[in-house]
Amino acid sequence: MWKEVGQREMGRLAPHSFVNRIKSNRISSLELSNYKEILSAHKGAINSLQVDLTDGRYLLAGASDGSAAVYDVQCAASYEGNGLVAKHEKIFVVDKQHEQGHKYAISSAIWYPIDTGLFVTGSYDHYVNVWDTNSTQVVVNFKMPGKVYRTAMSSVAKSHMLIATGTEDVQVRLCDIASGAFTHTLSGHRDGVMTVEWSNSNEWVLVTGGCDGAIRFWDIRRAGCYLVLDQLQTQLGRRPPVLLQSSLKGSTSKSIPDQSSFLKARTSQKKSAYGNGTKHTPIHRTKGSMGQRQHPGMLSSHDRATAHYGAVIGLKVSEDGMYLLSAGSDSRLRLWDIESGHNTLVNYEATRLQTSKGIQLAVTQDSSLVFVPCMTTVKAFDIWSGRTSMTFRGHYEKVNCCWFSSQDQELYTGSNDRQILVWSPSKTVHAVEDDRCGEVLMSNSDQDNWSD
Amino acid sequence: MEEREREGRGKVSSLIEKATNSTSPEVDPRLLKAIKSVARYSDSEIQLAFDTLMQKMEKEHSQVRYLALLIIDELFMRSKLFRSLLVVNFDQLLILSVGFKKDLPLPAPSAIATRLRSKAIEYLEKWNSSFGIHYRQIRLGFEYLKNTLNFQFPNLQQNAARREQERREREMRSKEILLNKFETLRQNISLIKGEIQRTIDEIGECLDILHPKEEDFIPVDTEEEFESRSVAFQKIRLESLKEGDKLHETSENKVLFDVLRELYKLVESKHLASLQDWISVLVRVEPADCRFRDSTLKEFIDLRNQLRSVKNRCEGCTLTNIRTDEDEDIWEEVKIDAADSGIISSPNVPNNDHASTFTANENKNKTSGKTTKFSGSKNLDGKGECSDSNSVKSSLLAEAPVMTWGASLDDWGAKRDRLANQRGLEIEGHWGRVDYDAVIPAEKIAELNVQAFLYKEDPVEISPCLAPLKSGLLCQRRDLRVCPFHGPVIPRDVEGNPIDQAPLPDDIIPDLLVEKLAKQAVKNVRERDRDEVKRKSDKHLLKRAKLAKVREHNESVLRDAALASTSYSESVGAANQNGPVYKENKQTLSSMLRKKITPKDRIAKRLLNRRASNATRELILGEDTKYREAYPNQW
Repeated sequence: MWKEVGQREMGRLAPHSFVNRIKSNRISSLELSNYKEILSAHKGAINSLQVDLTDGRYLLAGASDGSAAVYDVQCAASYEGNGLVAKHEKIFVVDKQHEQGHKYAISSAIWYPIDTGLFVTGSYDHYVNVWDTNSTQVVVNFKMPGKVYRTAMSSVAKSHMLIATGTEDVQVRLCDIASGAFTHTLSGHRDGVMTVEWSNSNEWVLVTGGCDGAIRFWDIRRAGCYLVLDQLQTQLGRRPPVLLQSSLKGSTSKSIPDQSSFLKARTSQKKSAYGNGTKHTPIHRTKGSMGQRQHPGMLSSHDRATAHYGAVIGLKVSEDGMYLLSAGSDSRLRLWDIESGHNTLVNYEATRLQTSKGIQLAVTQDSSLVFVPCMTTVKAFDIWSGRTSMTFRGHYEKVNCCWFSSQDQELYTGSNDRQILVWSPSKTVHAVEDDRCGEVLMSNSDQDNWSD
Repeated sequence: MEEREREGRGKVSSLIEKATNSTSPEVDPRLLKAIKSVARYSDSEIQLAFDTLMQKMEKEHSQVRYLALLIIDELFMRSKLFRSLLVVNFDQLLILSVGFKKDLPLPAPSAIATRLRSKAIEYLEKWNSSFGIHYRQIRLGFEYLKNTLNFQFPNLQQNAARREQERREREMRSKEILLNKFETLRQNISLIKGEIQRTIDEIGECLDILHPKEEDFIPVDTEEEFESRSVAFQKIRLESLKEGDKLHETSENKVLFDVLRELYKLVESKHLASLQDWISVLVRVEPADCRFRDSTLKEFIDLRNQLRSVKNRCEGCTLTNIRTDEDEDIWEEVKIDAADSGIISSPNVPNNDHASTFTANENKNKTSGKTTKFSGSKNLDGKGECSDSNSVKSSLLAEAPVMTWGASLDDWGAKRDRLANQRGLEIEGHWGRVDYDAVIPAEKIAELNVQAFLYKEDPVEISPCLAPLKSGLLCQRRDLRVCPFHGPVIPRDVEGNPIDQAPLPDDIIPDLLVEKLAKQAVKNVRERDRDEVKRKSDKHLLKRAKLAKVREHNESVLRDAALASTSYSESVGAANQNGPVYKENKQTLSSMLRKKITPKDRIAKRLLNRRASNATRELILGEDTKYREAYPNQW
């Protein structure tokens, strides 16, 4: 690390790559934090976790006992063991005792993306509540036709304030906070909608995954969905090959080395590629998808395509908005190229996902790792290769959700055992030096003790 | 160096292998020590030990897991590296040792599995209290088991602390009570002392008045003298004194005696007891100033001695009276007993009232003489005459029938007619004339009063069989004569070995003796026969064994010779045929897994085999067809 600091000082290392290097170093050393502990205020399974997007300080958790709580993850409320363990307590909690609280389990709790003055909870009691954080009162609420599975707000939206809600019902509804009414009813799914996600690059694009195994893309300015992902439409690699014809002709053995070299090239110049990608992708787009764009009512064969065998239980759009990760009840993870709408055929190592509930995935900022709740553990997969890079064991029951805070490089996980665990980078050298004095006192009790 | 390490490598895992391959409930301490000393040697040893132990924990055998857990605890408490390795997969360890997952229960020997679980929980608590602060995983596991699964932790430390606290509180409370008592004593001491002193004085006066008469007979009996003599001698002496003593209650000194008796009772029942209490309070209390306590204690002890001497004097002088008094008591008891079968309707007699007691007694004698319903009535008859003699009375008492309490005792032995409408009930003449003076004749009443009894069996003490069991305990079955498992119930010693029958009692009936002797003779003869047969067969067996040995040797030689030429399979078959290898009865890990055959299994084997079930089915079928033939229109 000191070497990098030196290089940074000399100007040999660009500031952002210095930051990236430090961050990835820290991420690779994530482990169960012994010095940071969140005292869970919930009596049921934690279903949803989110750190606010503005301060990166307040963790919002929704639980199965109908309670939602906010925790301060920066400032500890109390310390234990001579300052060794910091305990973060809830700032407030709204539960069934609250006169406007949810009656049944909260399935989704999200922050208003612009500031921390509002948050939104969706519950199995068919309601979506919008809360004022400071007064902990409900400002608006929306009655849904069925259990609410997931709510989402777009973090890039500048012209709308819509809450997309996936419910038991086949229709996805968009609730407008400003007017307190449904603005859209998107129909197309043939079963309940487990998960909804806004695009990170386009404020009008919404992605929904349903229990029927379909992932649909909606442009909310138009009627109907414009894309249904098909698991059988595949491409090797992260972008559709430049020369589609040649790659189709060429054997797979030939295309794979191409791919890897392409990968290398891309990782080195990822940042700069952002703008280009959106510009030149339309060139590569096949004719068929162009046609779909133009015609909202799609061909029935396309309309019936599925992304997973079984329900789609988790969706996550990468930070740059170019890729979509989906998890299905068939215990599969799939990486989709949003531009082409193809399955990229990344083989994520075999896992088992829980099938009964939706899960919440998390992706690191540079889209290198995806954190997936796999039964009682959380696994971190390398997005591009699909290899397991880390396994986080600590929960005693199924994990439902995880949230990666890219500001602190910390991972928060919530599980059926009612715990919210913090996974943080192991303390770095200077941090240890800072705490040296306290540490010496404490570590006496944790030393080898061979009496015989 | 490397070589040494490699050598050590094998060593720690083989040591663990050896240590966990045992059926004992503890790890062999020598092996454990060896493991510890090897593991201490280097970090790679710890790593290896950890891997080996986790492998052992995954074995499908609770005993192996249990022993592995014991070793894990030893290393856990000692090595930091081991701890950091273990906490990574802490949930796995808990699943394997506590077995809280439904789909992964603890493996086979269930008794050991429960032991494993309790031990694991105990260890978890210990680890949490000592290292929990450093390892979040341990805290998590502990909290999960405690708060989510609601496991009961032994709570050793807290329990000890609580018990200590309780004990302290109890002591505090008792001390407080003592102090309170002490305070009241301090306030009332003059009162108490005065009362006792007064009683002593009164007794002294009474005795003084009585004394001049008897001083000739009893030359100042000091207590030492009394104590020094044996009780029997004392009794004889007193008996003689009693004979010679003319100090009977007469009409003139009766009052005096009464007073004396009362005072004696007072001393005995109240003063002495209360003094004793106070003294014990004083001994135990720890007041601020000890002077008052000590002085009071001294005074009280003096007082007590004084009281005792007075009491003894009292007994000495007026023993006869007191004796009669006691007699009276016993006699009254008799009266109460007798009252069950005697007069209840007579007014209750105050205990100390002589005259009325006597009248009651006479009354009873009279009435009981007339009762003829009981065999015991004869005994009751005799009571009046020999009421003085204790022995006769007790023998009579023993024979007297015990009646249950009831209305029938109202007119026990009353031989008079009674009005039918005894209670004066107003009977309206609904059904005709009413004879208000209707009388039930005495014979009829007696007839009605005849009571029926249920035969009550005498409770028989059935002694346990006490034959030694395999488990080291004694058979606790209680059978009257024969235990179904261990034969006739015979007296046995503490270890369950039969005690030879005691030599025949002298007063046994000669017939029985003869019979027994005859039996013994027959038995002896038979035994001799059996021995002979056995010896013969032994010889036979020996011969046969020798032959077999020779044959075996021959065979093996032949086989060895032939092996070169025969095919592999043939030889293997021969080896397998070589006879089943009888297992030793020694306990091994696999034998622990085997299911024990319970009596239920044996019964099931008998009842559920094909023949039995066929038989029953036939029976049922037969009955069914019979029924159907008999009632063809019923389904």
